[in-house]
Amino acid sequence: MPNELVEEQKKRKARFGWALEQVTRRLLDDLSVEDHIPKRMDYFLNILRQAFVPSAAGEGPKTELYPGRKVIGTYCVMTPEELIYAAGAVPVRLCGGSHEAAAAGDEFVPRDICPVVRSAVGATAFDLLPIYRRCDAVVVPTTCDSKRKLGELLADFTKVWMLEVPHIKEAERSRLQWLEQIYAIKNSLEKLTGKKIGSKELRSATRRIAQAQYQARRLHTLRKADMPVVFGKHAMLAMNAYAFAEVDEWTAAMTAFNDEIEGRLMAGQRAGHTQAPRLLLAGSPAIFPNWKLPQLIEEMGGVIVADESCVADRYLYDPVGTTEGTMTEMMRALAARLIMPCTCPSFSPNEDRLYRLRYLVKEFKISGVIYHVLKGCLIYDFEVGRVEKLMKELSVPVLRVETDYNPEDIEQLRTRIEAFVEMTRVRAKSER
Amino acid sequence: MRWRVSTLRWVSLTVAFVILTFGGWVHRCWLGQFLPTLSCKYVLWTRAGDCYLWHIQRVLQNADFDELLPELMFFFLLILLLGKSWCGWICPFGFCMDLLDAFRRRLRMGYVTFSDALNRQLAWIKWVMLFIMLVVPLLCIEGCVLSEYRRDLNVPFCQLCPARYITPLFNDMWNQLAVSFRSGASVLMTVLGLAITGLFLVGALVKRRFWCQFCPMGLIVGLCRKLSLLKLKKDCDACTRCGICNTVCPMDIKEVHLERKRSDVTHQDCILCMRCIEYCPEDHALRATFCGKTIYEASQKGFFARERSRPSDTLEKSVDATTASSSGNDHAK
Repeated sequence: MPNELVEEQKKRKARFGWALEQVTRRLLDDLSVEDHIPKRMDYFLNILRQAFVPSAAGEGPKTELYPGRKVIGTYCVMTPEELIYAAGAVPVRLCGGSHEAAAAGDEFVPRDICPVVRSAVGATAFDLLPIYRRCDAVVVPTTCDSKRKLGELLADFTKVWMLEVPHIKEAERSRLQWLEQIYAIKNSLEKLTGKKIGSKELRSATRRIAQAQYQARRLHTLRKADMPVVFGKHAMLAMNAYAFAEVDEWTAAMTAFNDEIEGRLMAGQRAGHTQAPRLLLAGSPAIFPNWKLPQLIEEMGGVIVADESCVADRYLYDPVGTTEGTMTEMMRALAARLIMPCTCPSFSPNEDRLYRLRYLVKEFKISGVIYHVLKGCLIYDFEVGRVEKLMKELSVPVLRVETDYNPEDIEQLRTRIEAFVEMTRVRAKSER
Repeated sequence: MRWRVSTLRWVSLTVAFVILTFGGWVHRCWLGQFLPTLSCKYVLWTRAGDCYLWHIQRVLQNADFDELLPELMFFFLLILLLGKSWCGWICPFGFCMDLLDAFRRRLRMGYVTFSDALNRQLAWIKWVMLFIMLVVPLLCIEGCVLSEYRRDLNVPFCQLCPARYITPLFNDMWNQLAVSFRSGASVLMTVLGLAITGLFLVGALVKRRFWCQFCPMGLIVGLCRKLSLLKLKKDCDACTRCGICNTVCPMDIKEVHLERKRSDVTHQDCILCMRCIEYCPEDHALRATFCGKTIYEASQKGFFARERSRPSDTLEKSVDATTASSSGNDHAK
């Protein structure tokens, strides 16, 4: 590459990197001074600060992330994290949420590609965040077209293991094909780490993740309470932080967090106004630092009590269930837990998602659904119609919000969301 | 300690096995000759009850039809009462299979699951067994086609049933494991029976509840599942279709998690071992009902409590320690 070009690239890298750091730092600072933020939130904010604002750790020499351990990047909730932990490596979830990284990634992808992939490519190609290049390998499940091609793009920069997700999950052949791939990932991990994954290691990893899942479900249950005690933006952030945390630490922090929320429930401290409508954030995931929608919704007076995001409520929901410690059953159970209960629109037919949404509306007493569509996230957009039909049946209003990571449309969104929240509030009142 | 259903089931199976196989030693311990479970007649004097299949074949081949009705009524009454939990909780032969299964686990050996296609191909076997049990004895009645083989085809199904060869061994009856050279037909029957027994021993070591999918008793009891008082029910809204019930099911039943509409998910093959309920992580998603009353149901807490209570390694201990110090609160609530 000619010298000027290298210089140019360096400049761009510096510019994007600086912007990303500034924006994320400001967002984290804003979040951490909010009135109603739980005290135990610090751990999660710190995890995100470490990942996104590396210089915040101090100006001294940069410490290596996860010294002495293999780090595996994952690009989907359908990655077998249990195996990664069993091999003694650490998984980090790399699905991108940064607008600046997405802007940097623009030159690698077609125009209509979703910002998650854009952002991941940008962050890797320009080395914007240390965690992306720190990974010894990344696992890219082929959930949608963008993710499929993402694997190809990333292969220029890191080692990529593709994971072919079947799209008809009930079929026997899909399950077998999927199980085979889980075994393949296991082999790749063993080769990379030089450590054999035995039934003991896998059992222990499964249990460690089950502890985290227990805490995640506890938070989920606490949010069911008639009186909302935690804002969705905080709960979702705590879940999102798992992407960059190690499971045991995160579990401990989450336990403390839940205890605090439980305490609030006992003390009757509500989050949000007494008549704040209980909203469900459906559709494409909001990934940190794209906190635009969660913040706006709650700023406008709603409370997000549930979501179906694969980096929040669905992140740690489905456990591995086995009756015996044999490798055969554990691998079978692991493979099943990754795809069978997953309600990602990547699957077709995807009746499961409608059942899940119906259940969420009932259990969480939802009075309105905000359907988030990230520009370019076709599969979530495809299902809007079905979800709207279902919600009509349940007489719950739906607002479809199509946006990306660009902060420019924030005022437009504000108006729409404000109107929707107001409308839901009035509806709920008249029903009462 | 709270009793887990698996533990309870082991206790029930063991007690039932001991009583049915050795109860006869205790003076006048007799539970009847119409039991819908493989409590083998050939255990002889130490047994405390009989598998009804022997008697029904006997009645049919002797054409004692006036005896049939009262016996059948008693038999069906027992089925009505407990449904297929006769197979999962009482059957002494089921206990033998579970013992072999426990041995397999001890060896850290995995198990085999049959593909849907293979299961379909094997589905007729139990019907053949039922045919041998109900029709062949009728054909042996004096004057019918097979009457000249009457002696050799005496209780034909029992001659093929692996329980007839294996359970008597607990009463030290090794002479049952012999080929009878009385005639061609008897050689055929005993060789077939021994072959099935050999197959069973291998099968039960590599597949969970191997014999149950071929057992005609299971077939009869399963066909009466709609009438039985004990049922497996599902709340289709609460179910996330995670498939754990399928993974843990010793009979590999897929229908329970795939069902979307009906609440009664008691499958033909289901032996009501209730493992699926025990391992279901969703509150109230699966439950067992007796006369419509819920007697046991799935819970999230139950699922995760088990994950926490298993012997922990050092890492988990460190988590518990940090949790305890950081919260000072009982998080196990």
